[in-house]
Amino acid sequence: MDAATLTYDTLRFGEFEDFPETSEPVWILGKQFSALTEKDEILSDIASRLWFTYRKNFPPIGGTGPTSDTGWGCMLRCGQMILGEALVHRHLGRDWRWVSGQRQREEYSSILNAFIDKKDSYYSIHQIAQMGVGEGKSIGQWYGPNTVAQVLKKLAVFDSWSRMAVHVAMDNTVVIEEIKKLCMPWLDFDGAGCSEGAVGGAGVGARELNGCLGGACALAEEEMALWRPLVLLIPLRLGLTDINEAYIETLKQCFMLPQSLGVIGGKPNSAHYFIGFVGEELIYLDPHTTQPAVEPSEDSQVPDDSYHCQHPPCRMHICELDPSIAAGFFCRTEDDFDDWCAHIRKLSCCKGGLPMFELVDSQPSHLVSADVLNLTPDFSDSDRLERFFDSEDEEFEILSL
Amino acid sequence: MPPFDKTQHPKPFKQRKSFAIRKHEVAGIRTKFPTKVPVIIERYQREQYLPTLDKTKFLVPQELTMTQFVTILRNRMTLMPSQAFYLLLHNKGIASMSLTMAQVYKEYRDEDGFLYMTYASQEMFGQCLNLTQGSFSAGGAGDFSGTKRFLYN
Repeated sequence: MDAATLTYDTLRFGEFEDFPETSEPVWILGKQFSALTEKDEILSDIASRLWFTYRKNFPPIGGTGPTSDTGWGCMLRCGQMILGEALVHRHLGRDWRWVSGQRQREEYSSILNAFIDKKDSYYSIHQIAQMGVGEGKSIGQWYGPNTVAQVLKKLAVFDSWSRMAVHVAMDNTVVIEEIKKLCMPWLDFDGAGCSEGAVGGAGVGARELNGCLGGACALAEEEMALWRPLVLLIPLRLGLTDINEAYIETLKQCFMLPQSLGVIGGKPNSAHYFIGFVGEELIYLDPHTTQPAVEPSEDSQVPDDSYHCQHPPCRMHICELDPSIAAGFFCRTEDDFDDWCAHIRKLSCCKGGLPMFELVDSQPSHLVSADVLNLTPDFSDSDRLERFFDSEDEEFEILSL
Repeated sequence: MPPFDKTQHPKPFKQRKSFAIRKHEVAGIRTKFPTKVPVIIERYQREQYLPTLDKTKFLVPQELTMTQFVTILRNRMTLMPSQAFYLLLHNKGIASMSLTMAQVYKEYRDEDGFLYMTYASQEMFGQCLNLTQGSFSAGGAGDFSGTKRFLYN
């Protein structure tokens, strides 16, 4: 394998090293390339992704807070990158390409504006850091992949331009019914019990969205009347200290799906946005570069060169990956989602890898029932817990049904 | 890195008791409760966000699914639905959530007869001081505000 000629150290420090000449396929966000014949296409594809890095000298967060996110904002920036990729899929399409210096489509400027470092952009560092307070993170604290996923889910509700449904699948389980309810809230799912908030938070999300959608069916886009574009984020833990090697093949498969938005995760302490792989190496965009904050000019055109990674992307061995990640997928239509489900089902039947998460049709009814699962904030279910934990011998805790 | 909590890390169960004692214990309890699975649940040594359970040893009905079991543990710790919680088997990985405890036990139980599980949330990511950075922009590595980083990390 040609890629293996790189040593560990050059991987870590040789960030601008050229792309390897290898016959192994290069996979980037669901697209396959040849490193031998399509190098320009690869670099152009990578340069077209939105690259969010540490910035300095932006307006203070919350009026009096930090003016730079250097040292703490890397996972927040990775969250911006994966959501930025979703917005590119949503408004421009996967095959859209960025060219430096060229005047871009209006949608592109709107996407970039959603991430500018100021308090009122939909997904600015300001919004993400402040929304994190609700997840128990004070401004400037480090985030994990799940933290930023939860925050993005909340922020997306206010993005009335994109109207995407962001779903965060908890407990390694993707429940198809939950997602269909979220993306088609106008349909009457008369199911046995979409009881309040019982299904891992998605019930709550659906209700909020119902509230703010109002006359959603009157929206101009016909597509939107059928399905709200879905951003599916799946936070995972693929091991304790190191990634369990049994997951590596499955992880690679994630980047090969046409719905792939990549993976947010990192090496210990350093968050990265993984967009693909070649051989045993992951390809990623690295937020660990401090750039000056950018001010939009009069005509709301943003000087955008610093938002694209114009050097060969960073690579690292897949075994270096910290086990805490979140995988992302974008499904523009219901068909896209059904296709994704079919891919995942097919993957979980093949041998050669452990599934990273499970796909189920609906949450088992005993869990939907609020009688068993009380997830309301007051946790007033101590009585029910007594039933589960009804007897104890001196050492074992005996659970009964 | 956030400060390390040293108070809550007793030795792992396996190191507290010899193999023979553990095996004997399982044999005894299995006779007494043949339809329940003996499980050891421990917090990941480096876990900083999830609380410690007051018990380590559980006898779990064999027909319970992993989903149900995780739900019970989540409720026990009064976790919010949006909080990350992972139950890793034998330090290997996550079992399919639809498996029953009996199935999981059959496949993953230890030689001593216990089923070992470790729970953890997710790691948080932030910059270490001495990591080399790509610094081709005007700002670059020299531009850190060290005090701020200490404050926020």
